[in-house]
Amino acid sequence: MQASDLTQHISRRFNEDLEELRNKVMAMGGLVESQLSKAIAAVVSGDSELGLEVANDDYKVNALEVSIDEGCSRILATRAPAAGDLRLIVAIIKTITDLERIGDEAEKIGFLASRLAAMDRPPDSYRELKTLGMHVLQMLRDSMNAFARLDDAASIKIVHEDERVDDEYEAIQRQCITFMMEDPRTIKRVMNVTWAARSLERIGDHTKNICEYVIYMVQGRDVRHTDLSESAPEK
Amino acid sequence: MSESGRKVVIGIGLLLATGALIGWSYGHVERGLLIAALLILVWMLRSLIIFERSIHSGEFNAFQYGDGIWQQMASRFRYERDRGDRYKSQRLQLLKEIRRSTRAMPDGAIILDEQLEIITCNRAAKTLVGLKPKKDRGQRVDNIIRDPALTELLRADDPTMTVDIESPMQDSAWLNCRLVPYGAGQKLLIIRDVTERIRLNKMRRDFVANASHELRSPLTVICGYLDSLAGDAAVPEDLRQPILQMQAQAQRMSIIVADLMQLSRVESSGRAGDEEHVDVTAVLTAAARAYAGLESSPDIQVEGDASIRILGITREIESVVANLISNAVRHTPKSGHLKLCWRKAENGAELIVSDDGEGIAEEHIPRLTERFFRVDRGRSREGGGIGLGLAIVKHILQRHDARLEISSTPGQGSEFRCCFPAARISAAT
Repeated sequence: MQASDLTQHISRRFNEDLEELRNKVMAMGGLVESQLSKAIAAVVSGDSELGLEVANDDYKVNALEVSIDEGCSRILATRAPAAGDLRLIVAIIKTITDLERIGDEAEKIGFLASRLAAMDRPPDSYRELKTLGMHVLQMLRDSMNAFARLDDAASIKIVHEDERVDDEYEAIQRQCITFMMEDPRTIKRVMNVTWAARSLERIGDHTKNICEYVIYMVQGRDVRHTDLSESAPEK
Repeated sequence: MSESGRKVVIGIGLLLATGALIGWSYGHVERGLLIAALLILVWMLRSLIIFERSIHSGEFNAFQYGDGIWQQMASRFRYERDRGDRYKSQRLQLLKEIRRSTRAMPDGAIILDEQLEIITCNRAAKTLVGLKPKKDRGQRVDNIIRDPALTELLRADDPTMTVDIESPMQDSAWLNCRLVPYGAGQKLLIIRDVTERIRLNKMRRDFVANASHELRSPLTVICGYLDSLAGDAAVPEDLRQPILQMQAQAQRMSIIVADLMQLSRVESSGRAGDEEHVDVTAVLTAAARAYAGLESSPDIQVEGDASIRILGITREIESVVANLISNAVRHTPKSGHLKLCWRKAENGAELIVSDDGEGIAEEHIPRLTERFFRVDRGRSREGGGIGLGLAIVKHILQRHDARLEISSTPGQGSEFRCCFPAARISAAT
């Protein structure tokens, strides 16, 4: 399946509907990306206003999800798409669910940022959270790029990237436990840090799901819960 | 007919005539003619085939000598072909240079068609936003660069509008985007790396905020001691005057610091919230009342439409009004008149502060909102202005999506008009 395949229908209206739907998904992706990026910036710079702004803007993501969902149902009902088109619609329906969840996690991080801003800041100003956050943000960006370009090879790479995110999360958790054991007074703050890290790790998982939908959309096979090494792109 | 063409016709005519003559000598004119015609045909065919082969191989050795029609054709063909080659290489050279210059451009340029789909881009666009020209051709540009601000820019389609977006390629790098019309219905998206500018701006803001914050605490101490000294009867008479002067200057300094802090606050925060309904008429009336009792203040008139409110922050609108009025009062003689007006306008509402004071020379108007800019450096010291008021006004208005328009005629007075868009206006409840 190629990006240009979308414009190969006899009905021009159908082409436009599909294009519009895809553009909306990308717009939603962009919004979620900027939400996540702002949330991370809020944690790192201790900017409680920015954190609350992220939390308050989550409704925009939700509104987009509802509107895209509607568009998908309309196409399913009126066009009865088949093959690549059907896979595209199915992938979109699943992708926006994950994007919406990512938006929720970003909202959560925004909240935590505003809470963390009110507490003592550690000397490293949450460097480990920033590293993990940047990693996850890059994954999200790459996965949306893969979705736009229908790039299954890139998707497979991103799915593997998620393992490294899990490792980083594990390391942060260990570090947090050490802090809490050393000085119980930091428990309140460090708990918030673990929650933020947990949210970032969840975002990594959702991103991985999106990549799996991309592979499904391009190759037509479901790679969820399977060993990905088998699913090298067919040439 | 050309020289060689005539030669061919004459040659063929002669050949046919010779054939007819020989045929006639044998008593068969038509056979002689036929044989001559066949000979001509064979010769022509042979030349044609050789010519065709020469065109393919590009070698015209067979037609090198002589000036017959075939030689002429061959040399003409060769000439045209060489000229075409020369042109082509010139064009290629030109194209290469254009390509090289677009590649050397530090700004990213992306050419879009009417549907905002990518046609092509230069190398800087590849590195700045991670475009893959071959793969992304035909994609909508905001599918690849997915910043909500950029989508807004594409929708607005305004060549003067620019937006700053975060770079998708590099952490904490900023790109400035601008969309300009290009060719027939196409658009050119220009992307510029403005990380340095944004960083410098931030540094300047942080510096002003930190410096004024640091200055405030020692000033408070100084002011406190000076206040108690000024009221202390035990202070010797010869020290009284210096202490009073010190007190006045210290107070002036705290006002400057407070203004600087307010400026850096309104400058660094984003768009103002729109939860409060600001009753501008009440703000104007209260501000006018504060000046009414003062000896040096001119006559102040308030004309407010109480039915419309601003959606914004009351404290900041109050500050706008206070700054505008204090400016106007300072530059209007006691016999002058000041008019405060709040009314509906074409697209929203406007707040006007006008006076019939000394006015401002035209060349100073564009610089009025710069910080610490003063029209007359000498006189403003005793007048009390420090040159931050209008900068604060400008930034607060920006935060409220409003703009400041200044018009003035020297000797006749000035008018400061704050135009608020309809989205920021609500009807009184």
